[in-house]
Amino acid sequence: MARTSWSRYSNRSFYLFVSPWVLGFLLLTVVPLGYAFGMSLTNFDGSSPRWRWVGIRNYTELFGDSEAWHALLRTIAYTAIAVPLSVAAALGLAVLLNRRLKALGLWRTIFFLPSVVPVVAMAIMWKLVLNRDAGIANALLHVVGIKPIVWLIDPMAFYALIILTLWGLGGGMVIMLAALQGVPAELEEAAVVDGAGRWRVFRHITVPMISPVIFFQVVTGVIATFQIVVQPLLLAETNSIAGVGQVPRSTHLYMVQVYQEFFTSNRFGYGSAMLWVFFLVILAFTLLIQRSSRLWVHYEVDTESDR
Amino acid sequence: MNGSARISRRRLLGGASAVVGGAAAGGLLSGCNANSSGSSPGNGGGGGGSTVTLTVMYNNNELTKDHIADFEAKNPGIRINFLQTDATRLNAMLASGTPPDFVRGAAVGSANVNARGLATDLTPYLEKSQVLKKDDLLGVNDSFRWDGSKIGQGSYYGIVKDWSQDATLWYNAQLFDQAKSPHLSETEPIGYDDLLAVGKKLTSRQGGKTKVYGLGVEWAWNLFAPLATMILQQGGQIYNGDLTETDFTSAAARRAVAWYVDFAQAGVGPSSLDPLPDGADLSTFMAKRMAISQDGYWYGGNFVKETALHPVIRMAPAPVMGDHRVSPTYAGMGAWIPAKSKHKDEAWKLMEYFMAGPPAEERAKSGWGLPALKSLLPKLPQDLPYQKQAYKTAQNELQFSAPLPDSPYATVDTWNLTLDKHLQRAIKKQATVDAACKAITDDVNKVLKQGKEQIG
Repeated sequence: MARTSWSRYSNRSFYLFVSPWVLGFLLLTVVPLGYAFGMSLTNFDGSSPRWRWVGIRNYTELFGDSEAWHALLRTIAYTAIAVPLSVAAALGLAVLLNRRLKALGLWRTIFFLPSVVPVVAMAIMWKLVLNRDAGIANALLHVVGIKPIVWLIDPMAFYALIILTLWGLGGGMVIMLAALQGVPAELEEAAVVDGAGRWRVFRHITVPMISPVIFFQVVTGVIATFQIVVQPLLLAETNSIAGVGQVPRSTHLYMVQVYQEFFTSNRFGYGSAMLWVFFLVILAFTLLIQRSSRLWVHYEVDTESDR
Repeated sequence: MNGSARISRRRLLGGASAVVGGAAAGGLLSGCNANSSGSSPGNGGGGGGSTVTLTVMYNNNELTKDHIADFEAKNPGIRINFLQTDATRLNAMLASGTPPDFVRGAAVGSANVNARGLATDLTPYLEKSQVLKKDDLLGVNDSFRWDGSKIGQGSYYGIVKDWSQDATLWYNAQLFDQAKSPHLSETEPIGYDDLLAVGKKLTSRQGGKTKVYGLGVEWAWNLFAPLATMILQQGGQIYNGDLTETDFTSAAARRAVAWYVDFAQAGVGPSSLDPLPDGADLSTFMAKRMAISQDGYWYGGNFVKETALHPVIRMAPAPVMGDHRVSPTYAGMGAWIPAKSKHKDEAWKLMEYFMAGPPAEERAKSGWGLPALKSLLPKLPQDLPYQKQAYKTAQNELQFSAPLPDSPYATVDTWNLTLDKHLQRAIKKQATVDAACKAITDDVNKVLKQGKEQIG
């Protein structure tokens, strides 16, 4: 029956409807990917006509490039800390704001607001807050007798970047809140009637019910966090975003290294090879999380029986 | 309702999707051509009396709106499309083959751009010009020259706007008096080791914070140039003969690196491990929280309206680290015309206007750097006592001008990144100075090899 109802639409209409997305995908994703792969096989410097094919040399060089590997490991460590913290904090805030509180709308707005502040403004604000001599963070520490901390250089710069990341978790909180409000109250009530405490209800009813949303947050969070580049550049103690040299080692993430290869060293070919390898790394992590989801994500529909 | 109505609606939706798809594709395709100029093409510039749009990438506090309006009024056939300096954007424009027609750039370090064939040879324009004349150019312009194997001779690929003896010092005499430290000489240079000792004496701390920095070296701006200067002052070399190798394990380079490590470890001034929030010394110096700042003649332009500073600021010669007195410019900011510019003749008109016309005179009179033309040198300001003193010191330093070495195979940015990385390790005692020098040598030689292979 379903087939019959869809068959009245011609193939042409289908292709016309999907054409904007397909064209966008081809022109803005497939073509740049192919172009970048082609460039990764050259020693193109981004501007001069003096380039030549170098085969897979950029890839072999990358495998021996300790700077790139350190940057990748740093990025994985950063992601391993920032994503679980972001998701957990967003969930925690959502749980807190999913209650009957006075001025609930105001509280939700307050926690959501930082996520709509542009990243540049947010970075400038945190640079001021964390300023060694004039920042409020050190002023507060001074009140309790702690010596000033130089936040924006190693090793503290790493934690400053985590703080900056967590500051924008309002977006995740709203998604979690929507998921929590979709959990049927009767399920939780039934568990309470059966003698379950608050934590058991949360652990065994609420979390499994919203696990598809948590999965979504984790996957998109991992992909976005892997690709972070603007925040470390903005947090660096420099008056120029091009000052990639001023990015501390602890926040010198993989994409910062790529940025440096492209725009400081003018190695567009090598930078493209780095991007292609990174694309595969992100793909591998995404597939890994996808695989693991079978163990911890619960769908209300039986996805297996559809196959 | 009925079949025809359904088909009609379907057609409407199908047509709409086609329009949306077409619009998206059209937008994308037209986006690819966003940089195309509406002006007439041609290597020599727009002809036929039509207006030419000149795309200019510069700093808006140097090439101001007033300058642009004045230039356009004097050249009715030329309109300027102004872009603020943006290295990333410039790279993208060069990569796409649609560069600006007039670009801000430094003479020191231009060998890389020139050897890659990105800049226009300006010599034919210079030979014909009635405004910018070869024999009026100061030696600083020679860093824009490239003969295919070295700087300093051959064709001109850019003209310097203004420059400074960037290793010279500015100091706050009041802070010297408070620390009971004798003032620096106006004509005789202090040694780097003595300078560090003075810096330590002038530094004061309170509650874990630095109240007054003894000495600032603008660490975030440039490490290559000051280190190269120190090496030249000791009679050393940065590169081998064909500019394809460096040796930072030499005694001269080691001493220079060790000085920087000592400077940072002593905490007498900002470094990349203890940076200033705005990445520059000026605000701290003007707040009387820095006693000495190594910034060059141009710094004086900042103080014209700071009357409270006038009685206490002084300029001193470039410090030395050896027997050879060298006082170079670290940059020599100017402009070049990309080889792929479609409006070179018009860009040259702007070059003449900006480098030798009213803006150049204005700059010379303001004290924002030394002019790059001999004819403009007498116009430097001497109205205020500090300006008179700085003029005297700067004039004396002219005899010690020397170009910094420049290899086309490694950019100044790459040098700075490498130097900072290994200096940090030495400062944090994760590596010895010798190990840092070896690592700098290895890393830069790798880059030089890549550059040589690229450029040929």
